[in-house]
Amino acid sequence: MLSENGWVNFWRVLLLVLILVVWQWGDVVNNWLVADFEKSWRKALTIQILEPFFISKPNMIWARFLELGCFTDSKGAWITSQEGGFAGCLAGNTNNLWAATVATLRNTFWGFLVGVGSGVVVGLILGRSDFLAKVFEPFIVAFNSLPRIALVPLIVLMFGLGDASKIMTAWVIVFFIVFFSTFEGARSVDRDHINVARLMGASDWQVTWTVVIPSTLAWVFAVLTPALSFSLIGVIIGEFIGAQIGLGKIIIEAEATLETADMMVALFVLMIVGVGLALMIRRLQAYLLRWQSQFSERA
Amino acid sequence: MTEVSNGARSRIVLNELTKIYGSGGGQVPAVDAVSFDVREGEFVALIGPSGCGKSTILNMMAGLIPISDGEILIDETQVITGTPTPKVGYVFQRDTVFPWRTVRKNIGLGLELNRVPKAQREAEVDRLVERAGLGGFEDAFPITLSGGMRQRVSLMRTLIMRPEILLMDEPFGALDTHTKLEMHKLLLEIWNKEKQTVVFVTHDLGEALTLSDKIIVLSARPGRLKEVFDVPFERPRDAVSLRETPEFSALFSKIWHSLGEEFRRTSAEG
Repeated sequence: MLSENGWVNFWRVLLLVLILVVWQWGDVVNNWLVADFEKSWRKALTIQILEPFFISKPNMIWARFLELGCFTDSKGAWITSQEGGFAGCLAGNTNNLWAATVATLRNTFWGFLVGVGSGVVVGLILGRSDFLAKVFEPFIVAFNSLPRIALVPLIVLMFGLGDASKIMTAWVIVFFIVFFSTFEGARSVDRDHINVARLMGASDWQVTWTVVIPSTLAWVFAVLTPALSFSLIGVIIGEFIGAQIGLGKIIIEAEATLETADMMVALFVLMIVGVGLALMIRRLQAYLLRWQSQFSERA
Repeated sequence: MTEVSNGARSRIVLNELTKIYGSGGGQVPAVDAVSFDVREGEFVALIGPSGCGKSTILNMMAGLIPISDGEILIDETQVITGTPTPKVGYVFQRDTVFPWRTVRKNIGLGLELNRVPKAQREAEVDRLVERAGLGGFEDAFPITLSGGMRQRVSLMRTLIMRPEILLMDEPFGALDTHTKLEMHKLLLEIWNKEKQTVVFVTHDLGEALTLSDKIIVLSARPGRLKEVFDVPFERPRDAVSLRETPEFSALFSKIWHSLGEEFRRTSAEG
């Protein structure tokens, strides 16, 4: 008999197989239902969503994956046997799967870095200064209530179709997430922790470095996971609106050319990228917050 | 008030110390004209019902909150709010170890702030880790420690500055009885060697009797000085066996009576 974990995995695999089977052969049922026009009542039973036009098919997606990834040519022959080989294929398509993934990841990384960095700095400054917090409050509230996506066309207009506009889009989203958390953190520094340092003769500057920043960083680290996924979201949206390269560009192009399989390839790569990034950031977070109960080994 | 009875000089002098919270119509008197003095090397306990202003007095002594009226002199120098002196150490009631620092880095905090070279700092930390029985936990984060161990870290963090005067605000209030006794042992051991001048705030009479030379009983709100008792038990004391002596019980009931009136007043006010 299987252990509980074994059963969980059993059902997971079964579910996956089931999804793939329905996806691959679900349209056979539809075709049978509409095959005979006289029995038109059967038409009502067809499931439109199972049409390959909308969802493609696993084998078609796999073929497009191999082609977009420069593993095979358009006839399904391995690229290594072709003229120019792998490098030639990459050079022939500027938005090949590899280049697109690298571009999307690179911009996600920079958007994340710039967003977290600026969010922390501004959050710390406004969190520790009531005066500045009051001055800036209406501006922040106003800007924050604007749906960030509405800014993307403007950003593309200002920064062009290159990387800058993607990083900017990620930045305007990530900044606020990190800013609000840092601001809260900087305001809720334990007064007694500050007193401990002060009673030992700490200067204002030392209080900032030894108490305010470390205890605020706990709040920053706590939002690293959403910050990273929102950075990816920002970059993809930026690529939708205007780009020359990127996974978002593949998706939006596939929509225009009605190539569902291409879209599915990009979506799957995005899914893998998203899972990879989440695992990475969670490990980083667990290390940085190892002194907190939920990440501590012994607590 | 600065009379010298056994030859030791007064290190802390409180003159008509008063604290009023709030302003205008919403004024709440917390401490009302309290005067006493603490001599060199003396262990004084401040005891009273909750809300009697004993912690407020300690906070004013440390310069953490401003004084409304009267004065506090430490070594003939007036205490000014916000200007701490290195010779005064303060142990908080709440758990105030920095959770993001390891035991070692918590204890070494004061030396780090005062830019003591790392080698010297580490040697000092090792000495205190040893003394507090925290060996093996140097690199642990506070979250993995018990309440008693955390409070030992707090105490060592204060002691590493080698304060001549120790202000302790119910430091063991949150600990269970057994851990509390262990802490009393540790504190007595340290004090017997270093003879700091200590002001110890508590609402636990047994604790006050075990540790101190003098017990100052404060009245219910607003805190006024009610009575002062000398605690003549011999030193060094054993935190456990002392409690079983008839002298301990006799003095306990005597002070309990004085204290009891104040506790009843507090609960009557509800």
